[in-house]
Amino acid sequence: MSYIGIIVSSVFASNALLTYGLGSIPVNGAERSRDGREGLAMILTLVLVNALAASVLWCIHAFVLSPLGLGSLDIFFFALLAVPILKFLSKAAVLSGKGLLLPIGEKADELIVGSLVFGIALLSAESGYTLLQALAGSAASGLGYWLATGLLQSIRERLELSDLPRRMRGAPAMLLSAGLMALALMGIDAGFVKALAG
Amino acid sequence: MSEVREGFVPNPVLAGLMGICPLIAASRSLAEGAIYGLGTAICAIALGAIAPPLRATVADRLQAPATLAISAAVSTLFAFCVRAYSPAIAAGLWIYLPLLSVSGLSLYALRRTSLPGRYGPDASLRFATLSLESILFFLTAAFVGGLREFIGLGSLTLPTPGPSPLRIDAIAFPPMRLLVSPAGGFMLLGLLVAVYRALARSGRRLWR
Repeated sequence: MSYIGIIVSSVFASNALLTYGLGSIPVNGAERSRDGREGLAMILTLVLVNALAASVLWCIHAFVLSPLGLGSLDIFFFALLAVPILKFLSKAAVLSGKGLLLPIGEKADELIVGSLVFGIALLSAESGYTLLQALAGSAASGLGYWLATGLLQSIRERLELSDLPRRMRGAPAMLLSAGLMALALMGIDAGFVKALAG
Repeated sequence: MSEVREGFVPNPVLAGLMGICPLIAASRSLAEGAIYGLGTAICAIALGAIAPPLRATVADRLQAPATLAISAAVSTLFAFCVRAYSPAIAAGLWIYLPLLSVSGLSLYALRRTSLPGRYGPDASLRFATLSLESILFFLTAAFVGGLREFIGLGSLTLPTPGPSPLRIDAIAFPPMRLLVSPAGGFMLLGLLVAVYRALARSGRRLWR
């Protein structure tokens, strides 16, 4: 598949949240930020963290574990490296003085516990991609996750104003909305993307 | 005891919404849901058992990486056991088998944050509550997987050992195939959360 195909597929057809169930649905929490700078910071954080984590796991998988026949231990080795990687990224962001990357430190625990970082890294390592393809795919998966959560946050804000039955408010309505979004994305399958983008 | 009761999440999935997204992707059948739930429960209970000595011996700044590494080690061992027990179920669970380390970790993190306080006299009660929540997670995962498979495909795959698990075909045609897809999983779980809330409210009224 071409790089454009991988990116389109990772954002839509193989969306990290709606297709693979990685990360978490914004059921509760703060309102969607209208500040463009904050949104950009979130995209950069997701793209950077996922791309770096996926590259590291891909290298470990391809150059160390697979040649030794220890492919099943990838999650264990990756767990040993995940926290130092995220700490390094957040420290680098603070040292560089780029305010845009500061959420990395704040989001590190949430990204790990939400299984997003591990999931995308494992998908990249096991998809048979080259390193550059894995890098593009994981960065695009981060973008796809941001897109899905952003859309769901917008839906949540609208649902809060609507006249839903009491038991359906909050999590049930959000899960049903996520289901409908996932249903829509099922129309964009990998074969379609391959035919379209090569 | 009241401290534990206050912090107790009656159902980690349907009330606490814990690990709900990976559960949707990993519970397409009764067998997959049960094995995934069991792995998550084992992982959370193991972390709960290891946490007190870990807190006493490991420096604060190393506790997060150490907990993550222990969780990953438990899930890796569990994955080896599942591959030996039933290669078909292990293949069906795909990346969610190693990922259950993160689900176990989040279940453990829920208990740790809901009851603050270090390694004290309440540690055994905290562990008992975590164990109960983990068992409830396992039962819910198996139930969700079974329901999705039964309504979606009209069959039930039992978590039996061997190269291919035992499958009971109850209905000759798949009644609602959509339910075994992630889209159907999200919708079914949304409805289950709503039903659970209604039942919990009725239960509370009856109790009063």
